[in-house]
Amino acid sequence: MEKPEVKPAVCEAGQGTLPGCAALAFPYIPMQSNNPTRYSRTEALQTGTLFPGLDLPFKAAIQARTKLPNTALVELMALDFAVTELNLYLDTHPQDQEALGLYASYIKLAKEGREKYTAKYGPLDSAELVLEDGYTWLNDPWPWELGGNG
Amino acid sequence: MFVYEKKLQYPVKVATTNPKLAAVIISQYGGPDGELGASLRYLSQRYSMPYPELKGLLTDIGTEELGHLEMIGTLVHQLTRNLTEEQIKTAGFDAYFVDHTTGVFPQFASGYPWSAATMQVTGDTIADLTEDLAADAAMV
Repeated sequence: MEKPEVKPAVCEAGQGTLPGCAALAFPYIPMQSNNPTRYSRTEALQTGTLFPGLDLPFKAAIQARTKLPNTALVELMALDFAVTELNLYLDTHPQDQEALGLYASYIKLAKEGREKYTAKYGPLDSAELVLEDGYTWLNDPWPWELGGNG
Repeated sequence: MFVYEKKLQYPVKVATTNPKLAAVIISQYGGPDGELGASLRYLSQRYSMPYPELKGLLTDIGTEELGHLEMIGTLVHQLTRNLTEEQIKTAGFDAYFVDHTTGVFPQFASGYPWSAATMQVTGDTIADLTEDLAADAAMV
């Protein structure tokens, strides 16, 4: 199948490109530009998106950001969220070298953060076994339980 | 395949029991535009996608939606913790409670069980992506 041609254009934050000539009777969504402005990882986790251009709160009231506790788990959540966001972005922008570089550095930070977290609080994955500690996978709390997150 | 990670995507900490709120939020779990439908919609539509960008995107979003499902399940679970008999009766939670007690069941706020009839997989790229836009717009 032939992909619709997207004309390069200079767009402001919160805007994207559309094809110059588009097939009739098909809906189009503006394409996010390459190397878009980004929030810090903590801002991203609080906002629900890494990209200010995609920050579209349902109600203005939601813009008052939730204060997140400063814990090892929340820090790991922020790193993992940045990884997830860049993963989704790169799915549609695989040629963006800046974003690819940033993705690699967040993956590295998340890996280090994860190792630090699991050494202290136990495994996040059942295969992360430390033999001398026994089968710690079953240790409470589970994520949905009181004290299980954040 | 899928591997479980023993943490939520975002912290969920509910201090006060609120069954009335739980009875509404359950729709985001198993309602017509809830997270269960979102996940199954994306993960099922990906098989007929012709471009690698779309195969990747639907796989990765469908996976993330499972993480959202877990956050909503946690929210419902914590909102119904330590319920008193009085709270069950007066908070509009009695209809849910008689069938599911404080278990987390995928259903609409109206009580209708989650249904695959709320989503579509046409095998047509544009039709499926357009359906995704509508579903996601209803969700946010």
